[in-house]
Amino acid sequence: MAKLDGKKLLACCANGAGSSLMMENAIRKVMKRNNITPGELRHCPVSEGKTAARNYDVVFCARTFVKTFEGVESAGTVLIPLKNVMSDKEIEAALKEADLLD
Amino acid sequence: MASVLQTIVEKKHYRFIDGEGVTWQEAVRLSAESLVADGTVSADYYKQIVKCIEEYGPYVVFDHNVAMPHTTRDAEGAFGTGVGFMVSEKMIDFGTDEDGEKKEANLFFTLSAADNDAHMDNIAQLSQIFMNDELLDALAKARTPEDILAAEAAYPCEEE
Repeated sequence: MAKLDGKKLLACCANGAGSSLMMENAIRKVMKRNNITPGELRHCPVSEGKTAARNYDVVFCARTFVKTFEGVESAGTVLIPLKNVMSDKEIEAALKEADLLD
Repeated sequence: MASVLQTIVEKKHYRFIDGEGVTWQEAVRLSAESLVADGTVSADYYKQIVKCIEEYGPYVVFDHNVAMPHTTRDAEGAFGTGVGFMVSEKMIDFGTDEDGEKKEANLFFTLSAADNDAHMDNIAQLSQIFMNDELLDALAKARTPEDILAAEAAYPCEEE
């Protein structure tokens, strides 16, 4: 079973309407390509994500928002900062780097 | 169904500027003007976008000098769903990002989101466009609405 099967994934951006949605689409593409069925995959603004993050296994955000999520990793959440939020290739590479994808 | 670029042309949601001496704040305003013209957004809508970029930095500027200025869903003054397209002949300076990397844009896709499904569709299509370097190069050279359609015809995005 793939490591991300059933996991809860969250994509965050400033507004929760533009780039986080692009991220979600790119993440979905990666999941599909690797035959992974996440337990949950959604996007939201960082204002909401800040508190919601600890309830997710993996949180994706543009690199500019990394500071917002300081401390979530101590709650066991993996933070994946992205340079290009719509790049499925970058997401795939980052997940492999974090040992969440084979 | 019409593609997002076809809709931009049909609804006259485009603008071509020289860009000399234009600040990014002014560029954001200009990129939304075509949306203001037909009542898709209010005249002040762009101010929320400017405020957001001032707060979080130029994260709306992606690779390949593409800017996607946008605000929250159901933002005040977003009456319709649309994409305001703008080409600037000169690069518009957005300052530097958190790594000190220079951010500049000559292609603008300014978003207004009132209808969720239509917005999701726009975002999905824009993701494809933003990853299509040849199309972006051709769009940056566009000076007329016909050029926009010709660029899309020459470098179509792959279907999902």
